[in-house]
Amino acid sequence: MRTLVLGLGNELAGDDAVGVLVARAVREDVAGAADVVESSASGMALLEIFAGYDRAVVVDSVRTGRNPPGTVTELALADVGRVVAPSLHHAGLPEMAAVAEPLGLGFPAKTRVLAVEVLDPYTMGAALSEPVAGAVGELARRVRDQVERWASEGPAGE
Amino acid sequence: MTATEILIDPITRLEGHGKIHIFLDEAGGVDRAFLQIPELRGFEKFVEGRRAEDMPQITSRICGVCPTAHHMAATKALDDLYKVDPPAAAKKIRELVYSIFMVEDHALHFFFLGGPDFVVGPAAPKAERNILGVIGKVGLEVGREVIAVRKQLRELMGQIAGRAIHPVFGLPGGVSKTLSPELQSDLTAAAARAVEFGTFALEVFRNVVLSNSEYVEMITSEAYTHRTYYMGLVDRASKVTFYDGTLRVVDPDGREFLTFDPRDYLGHIAEHVEPWSYMKFCFLKDVGWKGFTDGAESGVYGVAPLARLNAADGMATPLAQEAYEEFVSTLGGKPVHHTLANHWARIVELVYAAERMSELAADPEILSSEVRTLPTATPDEGIGVVEAPRGTLIHHYRTDERGLITKANLIVATQNNAARIAMSVDKAARRLITGGEVDEGLLNQVEMAFRAYDPCYGCATHSLPGQMPLIVQIHDPGGEVVREIRRD
Repeated sequence: MRTLVLGLGNELAGDDAVGVLVARAVREDVAGAADVVESSASGMALLEIFAGYDRAVVVDSVRTGRNPPGTVTELALADVGRVVAPSLHHAGLPEMAAVAEPLGLGFPAKTRVLAVEVLDPYTMGAALSEPVAGAVGELARRVRDQVERWASEGPAGE
Repeated sequence: MTATEILIDPITRLEGHGKIHIFLDEAGGVDRAFLQIPELRGFEKFVEGRRAEDMPQITSRICGVCPTAHHMAATKALDDLYKVDPPAAAKKIRELVYSIFMVEDHALHFFFLGGPDFVVGPAAPKAERNILGVIGKVGLEVGREVIAVRKQLRELMGQIAGRAIHPVFGLPGGVSKTLSPELQSDLTAAAARAVEFGTFALEVFRNVVLSNSEYVEMITSEAYTHRTYYMGLVDRASKVTFYDGTLRVVDPDGREFLTFDPRDYLGHIAEHVEPWSYMKFCFLKDVGWKGFTDGAESGVYGVAPLARLNAADGMATPLAQEAYEEFVSTLGGKPVHHTLANHWARIVELVYAAERMSELAADPEILSSEVRTLPTATPDEGIGVVEAPRGTLIHHYRTDERGLITKANLIVATQNNAARIAMSVDKAARRLITGGEVDEGLLNQVEMAFRAYDPCYGCATHSLPGQMPLIVQIHDPGGEVVREIRRD
């Protein structure tokens, strides 16, 4: 069973970097149990990254305006479509999964999305805002926990 | 003064978010409307004091969609900054990489972004206007081939340029790696497949779009037509080129108006600022800013595939030239003013890029070990220009004598189109707001118009296509925002 940890974001654009930074933070910890990929690609260009993995956890920023910055929400792929949010990256996931299937591309059967509410994902060169920087630890922990859970379930796992 | 109620759809499948400003007149109709495209916020400040040599890596991270375009413009700006001329082999390798990039980027856009509007049909239910709809219409084989070709090309890109997404191979005066004969043979095979893919994309377009009179009517309709100037890079034979050349501008009647060395851009391109917004609109200095209008008196111009085909005299490779001739004759001669024809022009360019890739892959010089000229001059100022998929891209740096950036200016492709895009939005807005009555269906017209430009908001905000709110702000005649509407 192949596991993917995907950190999405633009590392130059303030809070938008959070997904990428979380991926970097966990890379060594999950080595052997998961492949860690950072990407600033968007939409269908991500299809190539997902193809071939059985399980994936995606870390990404969102701006719903409904939660305080730094709030982490965990979603299954099926939930993503229902989150009509100005997400910066993950809104294309259900479409991707739907496309991968008929094309026989092997999209992960299980995908979890860890979305963190951000404050300013637009200013070039800005560091993470305080609340988002404060969420990095929690995000990294949840990624590691998920990878561990899957690893312990084994090939027959749910 | 009452503001009209406007229901809007999110702009799907674009990078970033869009904001439309609609200024009403006293009668409740549209006085003017603009699409606001976010700009790079804080970029110039951010790069100040950084090493110019890092700019190819830094700027390639501005956009996850076209990093190679920024990387290449930055690399060329470094050539100019250090007054160094790369060896011929290095230029060919750079152009080879760039051709690969243009093929896969144009393929991505046509099938995943613009394609759904066309291939599936303007009248198709919204739920079908996505890649699934495209695959449903043209078959699974098509879908598989699009993804397979892109994958193959990106893998090759990764081998030559270090990484597919953020290339690391451009250096002032050359490139960082030589090519091996094994890689050359892989490239040759991939190029042949890319050419096949390009001609196949043309077939798809012919069968699905051109054979359908509804589409053709839509493409040529007045709603999507603007008669402006057009600009693009051309080679010595005045054919379309992406990596290097002279900038050529044609007037709305297709006559050559201007040609200039891209490094002289400041003498010919200026930016108009609207007092109510930070947004800047590019225009031709030699004509002047006359407002958001069409015609030879107005300095508004377009860039990107349609503009490039208009600004040039043809394509430098045979299959692309054939496709170009079909394009021009079907649409009634040059210049083609129909914005939606950008989608078709994109495929013609895809074919050219693939053929060019073939030519360069077969060139024995790309195996040369002479891929770098070491710079020796003291840096001062450098300008690098390429044709990005979405239009002319300009990088301009000033440094101190140590090569640390003191000032950087980027004109991203979409900025060149900003005025023309605004006009398209305005045209659509006028049709959807009259005396307070709004036709929601007409909102699609707005979206379709600027998807054809393939605008890159990503350069500013970097975001993914998907469900994005389109924010519409309605202003009363005094400029006050009386209503803001977003779908979320």
